[in-house]
Amino acid sequence: MTPHAELEQVWPRDGRIRLVGRLHEHIPGETAERWRLLLVLRDQEDQRLSYDTTLDGTRFEVSFPVDDLALDGLADATWDLHLEPGTGTPPRLRVGRQLDDIRGKKKIMVYPAQSVTSDEDATVVRPFYTVKDNLSVECLPGDIPLRPGEIELPEWIG
Amino acid sequence: MRIAYLLLHAWGMGGTIRTVMNQANTLVAAGHEVELVSAVRHRDEVRFPLDPRVRVTALTDSRGASAPTVAATPSDGQSDKPKEDAPLHIPRGEFGYRYFNRHLEDAIMAYCSGVRDIDVLVSTRPGLNFLVARSAPKSIVRVAQEHMNLSVHRPDVRKSIKDYYPKFDAVAVLTHRDREDYGELLPKARILRIPNAVHEIEPRSVDYDSKIVSAAGRLAPQKGFDMLLPAFQKVAERHPDSQLRIYGGGEKKAELREQIEKLHLYNHVYLMGHTSQLDKELAKSSVYVLSSRFEGLPMVMIEAMTHGLCVVSFDCPTGPADVLTDGQEGLLVPAEDVDALADALCTVLDDADLRRRMGGTARESARDYAPAAVHPQWEKLFEELLAERGTKAGQR
Repeated sequence: MTPHAELEQVWPRDGRIRLVGRLHEHIPGETAERWRLLLVLRDQEDQRLSYDTTLDGTRFEVSFPVDDLALDGLADATWDLHLEPGTGTPPRLRVGRQLDDIRGKKKIMVYPAQSVTSDEDATVVRPFYTVKDNLSVECLPGDIPLRPGEIELPEWIG
Repeated sequence: MRIAYLLLHAWGMGGTIRTVMNQANTLVAAGHEVELVSAVRHRDEVRFPLDPRVRVTALTDSRGASAPTVAATPSDGQSDKPKEDAPLHIPRGEFGYRYFNRHLEDAIMAYCSGVRDIDVLVSTRPGLNFLVARSAPKSIVRVAQEHMNLSVHRPDVRKSIKDYYPKFDAVAVLTHRDREDYGELLPKARILRIPNAVHEIEPRSVDYDSKIVSAAGRLAPQKGFDMLLPAFQKVAERHPDSQLRIYGGGEKKAELREQIEKLHLYNHVYLMGHTSQLDKELAKSSVYVLSSRFEGLPMVMIEAMTHGLCVVSFDCPTGPADVLTDGQEGLLVPAEDVDALADALCTVLDDADLRRRMGGTARESARDYAPAAVHPQWEKLFEELLAERGTKAGQR
């Protein structure tokens, strides 16, 4: 198993997405003080969002507001999540869930959507597992149901 | 002996079909002639392992029919069924009512009244039982199987049960409690309890340190997963490292997903979907939980016990109390009591040694449901019934 950031919990609630887990096969040592979560727009590598965080040994707990992802003019967007040292030096560790026995998480470990609204449009933001069991966040244009629980599954879940 | 089982749809997927095929396999292996007679046929291949020596025939066949024919397009069984086509002898409360019509009734009764070349006819659900009671000759031994508990049957079905079941040589039910309940309704009938047998499974080793809890069943109201989720919310608070995996698909999937999101259980509860390797999946957990509102006899629970999982279950009608003694193979809590279910799950998740001990007892108790323990009871029953009427079946 290559080094990666192994997720234990994902909490999409209260307008944020919070990630809890441990680095796998990488010990950050002294760099642990300054790490960052990197969201990279798929197929558009120069578009990134970055959030500073501090590791506790190999343990990470980091969150970001979903509002940040619903950028103007980006109707559909997929963000891939990584953790890396704040210096921008390697390694860049993909965030995912590889170490348990459940395969095909895309349809099994399904998370709630949250909605972001501006005056002009509405976007639904939802973390999901890719076919490789990595975590990404998808933004889709859409109306906002009153409760997250009432959102119908978008087609990409099926 | 020559034994025929009358089924609604031998090519279907249900628990009754699987059970009957298990019985047929054992009986044919013991040297008896066994035939499965299916009222309808919608598919080409049977869905469960079946010994090739077991003959399967259909009384009606709707494969390849271009226009809707016999039961090919089940309706909701309510007002839209044309009157002239409605079954005459099947009460509307029969859960399979929508599969029956006049033509199918005629086909089944024609088969029964003409049947001569068998010793024992076993029919397997209320609607079929009523038709057999009306039409099968007394010269053969007739046995009615009940795969559902009496309290679940609607009043019109109960009335027909009261009228028709005493005509059988024997009525077989799944649990001790059913034997009492049916016995009260049918004081003159011969009622026996013969449980369903689990299919042949190789017991797997269980990791008792695992804090994974398994549940399985159709995602439907009967299975009570809507009660299990709030119970597991309490469990997840106390045991953040625990996990509930629910195996199965069904019409309530979207609603359950919504409930998981509302209760913020998406890090602890997973709807796993169908699996072709349930045995392997069950053995990854150390606890099996049954949250059903009702059951006939919960077979997956017994399969889980065969591997050595400890059980936490509602004491619903019927089955769990037959299989489990509270504190032995697991914990039995009052039916539909969500808090009690949560507390019991916490109790077993608190203590790996308790899971190990109860799991060991569960493995022992599950042996009563192995084919080798159950199927000879059928053979013995058929032989007794034949002997009583002086038929020398084995010598013909």
